[in-house]
Order: sequence, then structure tokens, then C-alpha cells
Amino acid sequence: MTHKPIPKMLRYAVWMVVIALALAFLFFRADWDFDYVIPKRLVRLAAMLIGGVCVAWPSIVFQTLTGNRILTPAVMGYEAVYLLLQSLLILFMGTQSLVALGANGNFALSVVLMLGYSWAIHRWLFRDGRNNVYFLLLIGLVLTMVIGTFTQFVQFKVSPGEFSVLLGFSQASFGKAEPGQLLASAVLVAAVCAVGIKTLPTLDVLSLGRDQALSLGVDYQRAVRLHLALIAVLVAVSTSLLGPTAFMGIFVANTAYALARSIRHRVTLPTGCAIAIGIFILAQLVVEHVFNYRTTVGILVNLVCGAWFLALMVRTRGNA
Amino acid sequence: MRAALFGLFIVLCGASLLVGAQQVVWSQVFTLSGDAWLTITASRLPRLMALVLTGVGLSVCGVILQHIVRNKFVEPATAGGLDAAKLGILVALTLLPASGPGVRMLFALAFCFAASLVFVAIVQRIRVKNTVLVPVIGLMYGGVLSAVAEFYAYQHNILQSMQGWLLGDFSKVVQGNYEIIYLILPIVVLTYLYAQRFTVLGMGEGIATSLGLNYRATVALGLMLVAVTVAATVITVGAIPFVGLVIPNLVALHYGDNLGRTLPVVALGGASLLLACDILGRLLIYPFEVPIGLTAGGVGGVLFLLLILWRGR
Amino acid sequence: MISVSNLTKTYGNKTVVSGVSAQFPARQLTSLIGPNGAGKSTLLMMIARLLAPSSGDILLDGHSVTGIPIADYARRVATLRQSPDFNLRLTVEELVAFGRFPYSRGALTPEDRRVIDEAIAFLSLEPLRGAYLDEISGGQRQMAFLAMTIAQQTDCLLLDEPLNNLDIKHAVQIMRALRRLCDEQGRTVVLVVHDINFAASYSDHIVAMKGGAVHCAGPVSEVVTEAQLNALYGLDFEITRSPRGLLCNYFNLSGEPT
Repeated sequence: MTHKPIPKMLRYAVWMVVIALALAFLFFRADWDFDYVIPKRLVRLAAMLIGGVCVAWPSIVFQTLTGNRILTPAVMGYEAVYLLLQSLLILFMGTQSLVALGANGNFALSVVLMLGYSWAIHRWLFRDGRNNVYFLLLIGLVLTMVIGTFTQFVQFKVSPGEFSVLLGFSQASFGKAEPGQLLASAVLVAAVCAVGIKTLPTLDVLSLGRDQALSLGVDYQRAVRLHLALIAVLVAVSTSLLGPTAFMGIFVANTAYALARSIRHRVTLPTGCAIAIGIFILAQLVVEHVFNYRTTVGILVNLVCGAWFLALMVRTRGNA
Repeated sequence: MRAALFGLFIVLCGASLLVGAQQVVWSQVFTLSGDAWLTITASRLPRLMALVLTGVGLSVCGVILQHIVRNKFVEPATAGGLDAAKLGILVALTLLPASGPGVRMLFALAFCFAASLVFVAIVQRIRVKNTVLVPVIGLMYGGVLSAVAEFYAYQHNILQSMQGWLLGDFSKVVQGNYEIIYLILPIVVLTYLYAQRFTVLGMGEGIATSLGLNYRATVALGLMLVAVTVAATVITVGAIPFVGLVIPNLVALHYGDNLGRTLPVVALGGASLLLACDILGRLLIYPFEVPIGLTAGGVGGVLFLLLILWRGR
Repeated sequence: MISVSNLTKTYGNKTVVSGVSAQFPARQLTSLIGPNGAGKSTLLMMIARLLAPSSGDILLDGHSVTGIPIADYARRVATLRQSPDFNLRLTVEELVAFGRFPYSRGALTPEDRRVIDEAIAFLSLEPLRGAYLDEISGGQRQMAFLAMTIAQQTDCLLLDEPLNNLDIKHAVQIMRALRRLCDEQGRTVVLVVHDINFAASYSDHIVAMKGGAVHCAGPVSEVVTEAQLNALYGLDFEITRSPRGLLCNYFNLSGEPT
């Protein structure tokens, strides 16, 4: 298959933009302070890099598995579970939980919890040999709603001080990522990518749908299970590291398809990662320099991507 | 079966009047005097009325929305209605800080109606292959509206109190503070009168038009009824999920979708569920209470999961 | 009697129906036939007033339909389309009862009940009266929907591909019922149908469309000829005329289809 020159240039252009943004983020108004400001920003940049991969990959692969362009792993309930954990910690231990667990402890606990959640879902979902992703969605929907009310209750009940701590966890931001967590995350993500890259051709076939994939010789059940597990790890890492990023996944996935002009994952996945990283950097820049911290990256990203999602729905009849 | 349901309803009403933090001396009630009478009239009776009306209103809302969107899993919480109402109240509070509940309700109503129209338009443009897709989209739509509200609230620093108004809680219902909820009565009456029309609506635009129903006007009317109910309940008690989802589905399993026949059952069922959740909430950590949003969310969620599993078999 | 004059429907710059003029004679069964994309369903939907035409007129008994209120039109024209996403839990009887909606808006009178019973009996659906729609077969469900349109007691019945996904027994039952509606009750029936043999065997009148325009129209004997059908479908036809009716054979051709 010959690659037309224009899409290739577009993809390189995306990476150029991302690198430019990264440099801007590092050095803009930093006064060449290599002692404090720039190392801190480097840490945040690393968080954005890892976070970008952890947002783009699950969204694109999940959309391949479900054959639908408007879904995202966020509706499977992961983010609800994460918020539940944070709410419970604050409710029962107050801000002491921060001291007791430490940021690293919190991170480790959330990753473990979400992996456990995935395991529970997979066991239950695949128990009867059923492989209905939509069923999974329904469960995720219910859980999101139920946990949502509980979280609302906790958010209301805690003191304003505790609320801002909780808010810090429930909105995506890069401030809380620490080098130790970053290292652990990087290792996990690298492992997932290594496994994933070997199975890229299978993914391409999976996008044809269950019946076609089976007739082309792919072990559909096994492949779906594997990829859902990989997604679980990445979502766990991204939520623990950054916080919930609901709509960003859809935005990234759809923009990646549009820019990459191809459905081959070898092309869409890197492009998606680039876009996600770019969005994070841009959002952080805007929050710092335009809004002066009167909003958070999470709120901003959700707002813009969410509005874009609505426009997408109306234009493409929901099944692009 | 219906008689049994009605009986259950009466029992629950009685139980609701009996449970509470205040010890009520019943002899005083029957002589219409003293503190006991005050407790009953100022707090317990209004609470009972609010509970019944909210339960009825929410389940009827759910069933109307389900017929308009033609999907079994929509209700104001999964169609963006609640989040739109939240946004409306937020805008009212920041634009007109001195306004009373009436004005806030109007804002909530307007936003909810507009948001529902947009949602219905979106769903009609989608060629939906799977019924789960619609509530998922509705949830995401609600999430977008929520994000807008959060953005706004964060800037004005009222994010935490915003979470407060939205949480369903009947303890703030006292005499003088809840009368807006009576708006639900005419809504329910209207729905009953129009029950056949809403059933025809659920058959799709093609059949509805062939049978001589003005499709768009009826959809708009249905959405307006839903918006008024949602606004009234959110202002008075906050958001209560699942009632509009679980009850209509349970009723449809046994009685079918013919609204002319099933509407009373749906209404009674909604009221009973809410009463049961409320009594549970008041007894669990007596004398304190768990807000209804939580109990309804929990009980409703479990019921809904069971429903899905049972249907999935 | 329905007639359309110079009816056109365009979507953007794509013309689906162009300048169609045709007559659908009263008290007769007319079939709309033609290849895919010919505009048959679009034409029917415009007559049913489910689609607005881009230009042209539709006349019902000589009067333009544009002024008629929806509720009144429902008492004169009933439409039946495919409803694959129909998921209401109703019994057969409840569904047929909705056919009376244009008259009683939900409050059924004894007269309504009589009509409902007649409609159910007409299609021999008595045994299925209390069964839920999702419990019966596709063919039986289609009969239930037909009973609903019969209960609507309109002069005209419009059906869009009513035989899709039906086995031959149910397809024959439906066509026989439509034939009886014309003969016994004097109704006008217009249906879009793909199977040329059903059209040939049960219709009085045929309107053939191709590429958005009328290819030919007239009584069955005029339209169902080898020459006309060859021009319409691009296939060789062998038409057998027997006392039982017309039979079109377009299988096992020698040579390629044109």
C-alpha cells in the first residue's frame, strides 16, 4: 500500500507542533532557570508524555473493539471507581490520608484497585463465554451513576479544605505527579506498548468486526480479552497519575483518524499519542498563562473536548 | 396485583409518617394539639407529600422520555436533563443572586427543556444499532453540560455548594419551603389524559403520523412536561437517579407498554420505591439520615443491575 | 383515487424523484415496481405525507392534499412501513386498537371495538389476540400491523415493501388480504413490492419506475410484457400466461444480463 505524501507530511507536522509546544512549555517565562523551574517542568512534561500515551492508546483500541467512534473507556466505570476510592479516603481519613499514604501510596493503591476492577469485570463478563462489550458498557454506566451520587455526597459533606484536596484528585492535573510514580508508570506503559506493538496487525483485522475477524482466522475472544486487559493497565495508570480525563479520549481518537487518513493502527496510534500530548501541553500553557490558574487542566480539557464531542455527534449521525 | 401494590403504598405512607427523629406522642396528634401535631404538619406531612409527588413525577418523566426517545434506558439522569437543570440554577444564582426559588426554577426549566430538545435531536440523527448506546451518549452529554457548569462554578468559587444542591435530600422539605413540588400534580394529570398519545409517540414518527398525531408538537409537549417536573424536583429536593429508569422497565415487563393502562401502576411504583428508600435512609443510621440521593442511587442501582442481568439471560 | 402531478424530490443536488406524474385508480390494487434506487419508496412516502416534496402536486379525489390537517388525513390514508426498531411491548389487540386513534384519540367506543374485532377476524388473528408482539413470529407481526391499518378504516392504504423478510406462506396471506380489501371493501391499495410475480399476480394496475421517473404505467396486461420488463430491469424475461395468472421467469438465462 503506497502512502500518499500528504498524510505523511501531516503526521510529521503534528509531531513538529508537539515538539514546539514542549519547548515552549519548558522555556517560556522560565528565565533559563535550570535549577528549579525547568527541572520541575521537565517532570510535568514527562507526566504529560506518559499521560498522552495512556489516553490515546486505550481510546483508539477501545473504539476498534466496539466498532464505534463515540465510545471511550471512561464510560466503563474506571474513573468512577477511582473517584470512589479518593472520596472514601477523604471521608474516612480526612486530609490525614495524604500524610498516611503519601502520594506514592495513593498512586499504588489506585492502580491496584483499578486492575482489580478490570479483573472482576473480565471474569464476570467472560464467564458464560459471552463477549458483549455493550453489556460491559451498561454495567459501567450504572456504576458511574451510582458512584457518582456517592461522590457527590462525600464532596458535599467534607470541609472546604478537604474538598479542595478531593477536587485536586478528581480533576486531571500534572501538579501531583512525582518522579517515583513517573518511573513506575513509564515501566508499566513501556511493557504494555511492547506487547501491543506485536499485535498491531491483529488489531487492524479486529476493526472489521467479529464475524469477519473470525473468518479471517483471528481468535476473536482471546484477542479482545488481551486488548481489554492492556487498556485496563493504561487507564489505571493515567487515572492514578493524572485524574479523570473523560472526553479527551474521543477527541483524540477521532482527530487521529482524521489526520492519519488511515485505519491502520501502526499509523493512528502514534498520531493519537502525539495529539494527546499536544493537548495536554497546550491546556497546561493556557491554564498557567491565560487563566492564571483560575481553572484546571481537567475542567478545560473536558469542556473543550466535550463541546467538540457534541458537535461531532450532530454532524456525523453518531456512527462515523 | 394492583390492589396489592396500592395496599403496599398505603402502608409505606403510614410508615413514613411514623419514622423520624422527633418522638411523636400520638395521643397529641389525635387531639390536634401540641408539638406532635406541629411535627406532623410542618415536617412529616410535607415530607410525605413531597416524597409521593417526586416519586410519581420522576417515574412518569422516565416513561415519557422513554417513549419519545424510543429507548428503554433513558431518564432525566441519563439524558442530560438533570445536569442542564444544575446549569440553569447556577446561571440564575450568578446572574440574579437575590432571586427566590421561583425564578431559579424557571431558569432550570428553560435549560432543561432546551437541553432535552437538543438531546432528542441528536438521538434522532443517530442510526442506533444497540440500545445501550443511547443512554451512554446521554450520560456523556450530561457530562458535557456538567463540565460547563464546573467551569463556571470554579471561576465563581461555588463548586462545592453546587454539589450540595444537586444531591437529593428530603430533610430540607418543611412547610413553606416545598410548595413548588405541587406543580407535579397538574403534570401527572395531563400525562394521564395524553397517555395514548405518548404510546403512539413510542411507535415512531412514521406510524404516529400515519395515525394522525402531530409528532413534533407532541414531542415538544412531552419534553415540556418532563422539564417542569425535573425543575420542580431539583429545586425542592435535588437529583434522584434511577427511579425513572427502574420503575418503567419493571412495569413494562409485567404489564406492557400501553400507557393508558400502565400509567397508574408506574406512578404508584415510583412513589412506593421512593418511600421505601426514604424510610431506609432514615432508619439506617437513626437518628441521623442518609440522603435520598444515596439510598435511591444504591437501591436503584442494584435493582437496575438485576434487571439488566435478568433480561440479558 | 390518488394522482400525482410533476412530483419532484431532491436532496441537495441529488434528484431522487423527478417530475413524476401518475394515477393510482380508486378501488384497485396498484403495485409500484422498479429496480433499487428508482424512487418508489420516496414517491410513496410523499403521498403518505411523511416526506415533503420539493415540487409538484398530490391530489386525493381531485383535491390537493396540502391543506388537509394531519388528523383528517389519517382518516383517509393509512401507511404501513417497515419498523425494524419497533420495541414496544403491546399485545396484538392493543396494537390493532391504536388503529382507531384518529377517531377516538384513545377512548374506545363500542363502534371502535366492533371495528377492531372485524379487523382481527379479517386476518384470522383471533388466536393471537392476547399475545405480545415480541412473542410472535415476523410474519404474524406483519399481519398484526396490517390489522392496525385495516382498523383505521381509510379509503386508501399505502404499504412500503410489506413482504420483506416474510416466508412465502405469510406473503401470500398478506397479498390475499390486500386483494380482499379491494374487492370486498372497495379500498384503494398502493404498495411498493420487489417481487415481480407477486405484483403481476395480485395487482390490477402497475406503475413501473426507473431512475426517479415513471418508466411505464397501466393495467397489468400492458406492463407485464417481455419487452417492458426487459427495458425496466435489464434482464431477459419469459412470461407464461396460464389460468392461474402470470408467471415471470428471469432465472437461468442464456447469455449475460444487459
